Amino acid sequence: MDVVVADRLQFAFTIMFHYLFPIGTMGIAPFIAWYTYRAMRATDTHAGAAARFWTKIFTINFAAGVVTGIPMEFQFGTNWALFSAKTGSVVGQPLAMEGVYAFFLESVFLGILLYGKRVVSPRIYLLSAVMVWLGSWLSGFFIVAADAWMQHPVGYTIGASGRIELASLAAVLLSPFAWWQYLHVLTGAIVAGGFVVAGIGAYYLLARRDESFGRRFVFSGVIVGLIFSGLAIFPTGDRNSADVTHYQPIKLAAMEGLFATTAGAPLAIIGMPDAPHKTLIDPIFVPSVLSFLAYGNFRANVKGLRAYATELWPPIELTYYAYHVMVGLGTIFLGLGALAVLLLWRKQLFRTRWLLWLLLLAMPFPYVANEAGWVVTEVGRQPWIVYGLLKTSAAVSSNVAAGETIFTLIGFVGMYFALGLLFMLLTLREIGVGPHE
Amino acid sequence: MSSVAFWLLAAMITIYVLLDGYDLGVAAIAPLIARTDAERAGTMESIGPFWNGNEVWLIAAGGSLFALFPQAYASAFSGFYLPFTIVLWLLMFRGIAMELRGQFASELWHNFWDFCFCGSSIGLIALFGIALGNLVRGLPLDRDGYFLGTFGFLLNPYALGVGLLAIAALAQHGATFVLMRIAGPPAQRGRALLATLWWIVAALYVVVSLSTLAQRWPLEHHGMHAWLIVMPVLSLLSLVALRILVARGSSARAFAASCAFLATLLVASAGTMYPYILPGYPSGLGGLNIDAATPSPTALATTVGVVAVGLCIVVAYSLFVARKMARKISL
Repeated sequence: MDVVVADRLQFAFTIMFHYLFPIGTMGIAPFIAWYTYRAMRATDTHAGAAARFWTKIFTINFAAGVVTGIPMEFQFGTNWALFSAKTGSVVGQPLAMEGVYAFFLESVFLGILLYGKRVVSPRIYLLSAVMVWLGSWLSGFFIVAADAWMQHPVGYTIGASGRIELASLAAVLLSPFAWWQYLHVLTGAIVAGGFVVAGIGAYYLLARRDESFGRRFVFSGVIVGLIFSGLAIFPTGDRNSADVTHYQPIKLAAMEGLFATTAGAPLAIIGMPDAPHKTLIDPIFVPSVLSFLAYGNFRANVKGLRAYATELWPPIELTYYAYHVMVGLGTIFLGLGALAVLLLWRKQLFRTRWLLWLLLLAMPFPYVANEAGWVVTEVGRQPWIVYGLLKTSAAVSSNVAAGETIFTLIGFVGMYFALGLLFMLLTLREIGVGPHE
Repeated sequence: MSSVAFWLLAAMITIYVLLDGYDLGVAAIAPLIARTDAERAGTMESIGPFWNGNEVWLIAAGGSLFALFPQAYASAFSGFYLPFTIVLWLLMFRGIAMELRGQFASELWHNFWDFCFCGSSIGLIALFGIALGNLVRGLPLDRDGYFLGTFGFLLNPYALGVGLLAIAALAQHGATFVLMRIAGPPAQRGRALLATLWWIVAALYVVVSLSTLAQRWPLEHHGMHAWLIVMPVLSLLSLVALRILVARGSSARAFAASCAFLATLLVASAGTMYPYILPGYPSGLGGLNIDAATPSPTALATTVGVVAVGLCIVVAYSLFVARKMARKISL
């Protein structure tokens, strides 16, 4: 196997598996802080148990996230040595900051959250919950900032030896591209958190057990789910697309399956891209909408894939389908959230069993949407590892053979399979035990 | 500025060894000091609130190495692909063991994860020790700092000796932590263990120090670092102090002495490497110089500033949390 393919496969596998857990921690952390805050009031007797319940779920996520996250840092050096050597002074920056400013915060205060309930005062305990929340969100920011720089490099100079050097840390961290990408990633994680909280609550109501907790979880879950499904589409998703339109037009064309350059380009709702023949098979179009979404003008000219050399194309099918899965699911979450909140408002939600079933079964899908979003972002960036600056093929370790990478990939697959099983087992067990006083 | 970066990194790694060192050490000696299931659970609990935060020092040091010395990061991690992968798997395994042990109330389950936890911790200490030994001894490197040797080269007698010293010294470090944090039978067994361990550490320390001088007389190449000769003297004093303090029963001070012992050893090792981040082998030949491995002065100064400020904040709240959580566990 080609060494670049082997390295990409390993990275894709390990990061997609890893990403499941940060979605969980970023999405659940605010609920823990909220329930802990509520628990400080004497009137809210259940909140403390709710906070402890979600802390347990959070901890399982966090542990799996740490365990699967360490390989990511290692791989930059082991598998992508030329990338590290050339861009380390920029990309290493947010990664070092993640460790120093975010990861410490999360880990050190999680110690109190797990072991300190009887040792520290309620205020310190609440402070710890907030710090863990802050840590998980900051962690996400630094990682996205590193990735956003690879999507749209800013604040750098090219050094004498051809190395890419950091010129302005502020430019890297304050890049609007990074912020919109981060806010979109964050809203995606909170949607997942909302739907997980609502889904587990729905389970308790359907199973007619722990019903006061069930109502509480469904209530906060669907409201958060609805609000953030909306925010994921507008403004964060919209601004993200605008950045892609502006800085990565080939990715946009691949996402939309647009082959010919068109004025008043239509939006393809459905259709199968056929890259070798440069056409979209069996499309259903909404006329002129793509031009409007991209440029705010129904007549605007949108460049198609044929305008670019094929060696600059990302893998078209993967980018296209991942994008459509993400957008399609996002729309469904908005609809489901709106329906649930409507019934909540009419005080019928807790009795409408078919909708509770829907909420329960919807739980995995925000994860699918989040993963699909990353596939669009990362696969759509190919063949570049740093957009416009460094090709992926020129970034792998020249002294590591494909065989070594495949050997370690097999190790990761085995280890992650066991880890995934244990994660499910432990989470299901916590749900089975349930929140108790 | 590259010197500041080098010593900042050395400081981060030293703190990592002092902190994660005690929880690795506790894991390594756990089967010897904790007999019943409850004792083992308590021994685990003594490091429970801290181990994760401790391990972050390694992750932060890795991230900082990436930003401060990208070339060294790329060379070391790709050159030692398999050893690094093994370290990675052991780290992952250890994390899993720590998290999973308490999840089911079955003795078989507990025994299995206790075994994994102890084994992966000892494996990690040994690998870290071997890595340090090889860094001090020097590595066969090409012009860009990429490793030219084989896996077998890394398992030379000197490096293996440092590996053994690392296991003994961190086991001792873990035992002093247990004395400080636990009251009950495990602490008594820890004290007895410490009496034997101390002689092993002292013997290995003498052997390894003498062979370090034979391997790489530090003053030969870096005459300006004559202060380094103070370090072995200080380590020896800390080691003696450790024994006296344990005998007197002042466990917190004994732990501090153990910290001083490890810190002086690590600073001395870093000193023998400086100004190389990856020293060449044979001694003084080739190697990746800190100036060759760093990015531009602006980039370097930014990273050093950002990391240093961040670490001050981390130290402040870590001490706060450690004080809040400091209480003896009775078994």
